[in-house]
Amino acid sequence: MKFRAKIVDGACLNHFTRVSNMIAKLAKTSTLRISPDKLNFILSDKLANGGVSMWCELDQKNFFSEFQMEGVSAENNEIYLELTSENLSRALKTAQNARALKIKLTNKHFPCLTISVELLSVSSSSRIVTHDIPVKVIPRKLWKDLQEPVVPDPDVSIYLPVLKTMKSVVEKMKNISNHLIIEANLSGALNLKIETELVCVTTHFKDLANPPLVSESTSQDRNPEQMAEVHIDIRKLLQFLAGQQVNPTRALCNIVNNKMVHFDLLHEDVSLQYFIPALS
Amino acid sequence: MLKCAMSGGQVKVFGKAIQALSRISDELWLDPSGKGLALRSVNSCQSAYGCVLFSPVFFQHYQWSTSVKMNENENDVTLSLNCKLGMKDLIPEFKCINSMFRILKNCRLFSRATACKVLNPKFCYDTDLTKSVYSEMSVGSDEFDFFHIEVDTEITFCFKELKGMLIFSEATHAPVSIHFDFPGKPMALSIDDMLLEANFILATLADEPSRASSPQSLCLSQKRKRSDLIQSNSKAGESVSNESLECILRKAAPRSLYPNEMHTSISSLENYSSPVMKRANGDISKVPENSVSNTEEVPASTPLRKVKEKKNLMEVMRNNFILSDIRKQPPLPRKPGFVVE
Repeated sequence: MKFRAKIVDGACLNHFTRVSNMIAKLAKTSTLRISPDKLNFILSDKLANGGVSMWCELDQKNFFSEFQMEGVSAENNEIYLELTSENLSRALKTAQNARALKIKLTNKHFPCLTISVELLSVSSSSRIVTHDIPVKVIPRKLWKDLQEPVVPDPDVSIYLPVLKTMKSVVEKMKNISNHLIIEANLSGALNLKIETELVCVTTHFKDLANPPLVSESTSQDRNPEQMAEVHIDIRKLLQFLAGQQVNPTRALCNIVNNKMVHFDLLHEDVSLQYFIPALS
Repeated sequence: MLKCAMSGGQVKVFGKAIQALSRISDELWLDPSGKGLALRSVNSCQSAYGCVLFSPVFFQHYQWSTSVKMNENENDVTLSLNCKLGMKDLIPEFKCINSMFRILKNCRLFSRATACKVLNPKFCYDTDLTKSVYSEMSVGSDEFDFFHIEVDTEITFCFKELKGMLIFSEATHAPVSIHFDFPGKPMALSIDDMLLEANFILATLADEPSRASSPQSLCLSQKRKRSDLIQSNSKAGESVSNESLECILRKAAPRSLYPNEMHTSISSLENYSSPVMKRANGDISKVPENSVSNTEEVPASTPLRKVKEKKNLMEVMRNNFILSDIRKQPPLPRKPGFVVE
């Protein structure tokens, strides 16, 4: 197993840092999947996560000037590493004005992802800072749990409003109840609802866009005003929104009635999918 | 009674000094005298000591007198004004923008403050070795104004306290000299400037608890539990890679240039493990020729320049060097002084 990659472009480095910051906010522990063309940050829907799952994908060519990998075997040319997300984001934070950044899979008594930052220094010689991030290599037999989640046919698909606005609304609602209802229809309406014995609070977002209907599913016959809803844990939604520091290029919300809500985001060229299951 | 005034820029430096000292202890000792205003702190296990002496010319206005009578609100004070403050009360004051503030009841410091940044790094011991990140940074000898190492050394000390000093030195734009010796001996960082003088003394971890440390050396043996933890971390560090945790701290570059990367790099190191192992690889061959000689004897054109050169040393620290430094400062009032017996 081998992995070496290098970033020399400042903008690519900043973008990669932002992605790692986002992952650190979304998942304490995540799986990094390395394949010849892509990097994925994965959180599988284990009970420990409360059923939440995440799939983040980026095309390595958009970031790295050099990229070499050799997977577990020729037929399984992939590497799955489990790491503490914050360790990666903190290491990258030190690379703000770096000349170059190298990432390598190493074995220093235990497997590590070694981040090597080449910094400019006053005396015009480079200074190198290295961070050895301990990782756990995930054996092949567990790979099946870490595959790209199948996106079920949603009942409603709608583009989200500005995430910052959503986040501040949800933050306030969290003080009232942990149980949030998210509902939307095909007429561009999205509602966030909190219902308790004492009070009900609803925030209405109107005039949002719906993507064109693609499949010939039942949604074609669906009454556009009819709401599809999901009851979710508000904290999971809040964690997702808190991870989005920058407003994404595209933000889509798919609701499967009473089953789950699926967020499909695009941050420039990095895609993020986040699944929150319905409260049982 | 003490009455002094500072401009915005001076408040910034003053605030940074307080922040640096707050990393050592929650308590700050204010010690005004004719020589200036000294701020001091010592930590509870007496493994770190910091002192910043602001000379009267640092302030816009400095008035100190040993008058007994204060105004009607104050109690009578004794001849020597020694005040102890809680850091928690002080630090928010330095965040106020354009505000007048009062430091404590026996002493008024009037100033117009500009905003200061407060840094609160998390300081944690990570005992799970398989989860800790090991960070390492090498700084070449050519990055220093003066680099003189006589003996290959590797020392372990607390990063939190050091960072405060570095941030403070950044604000003062003054060169920092670092003196250290073998493990167990304290490490000293000092700034000597026309306007102020700062000394930070940090204990370093003695190599083995069994090694009889000399009476003159400071070590973390008082806080046994903590030193065991650091010990195990550093030992693990040693086994992790060939180079181990190798980090040579740099001092400030020529006055106005203090590269941002240094600060960032230090933050990166500080974020991870608390002990920082510092090894000076005696790259004696690379040390510039003029630095090998004893700079105290170097003739200088002006007295100021001589002082600057002396302070630009990073040299092997002698025991008595440190002691004499401490002796120069007036003893801490009402506390068992930071005594190196």
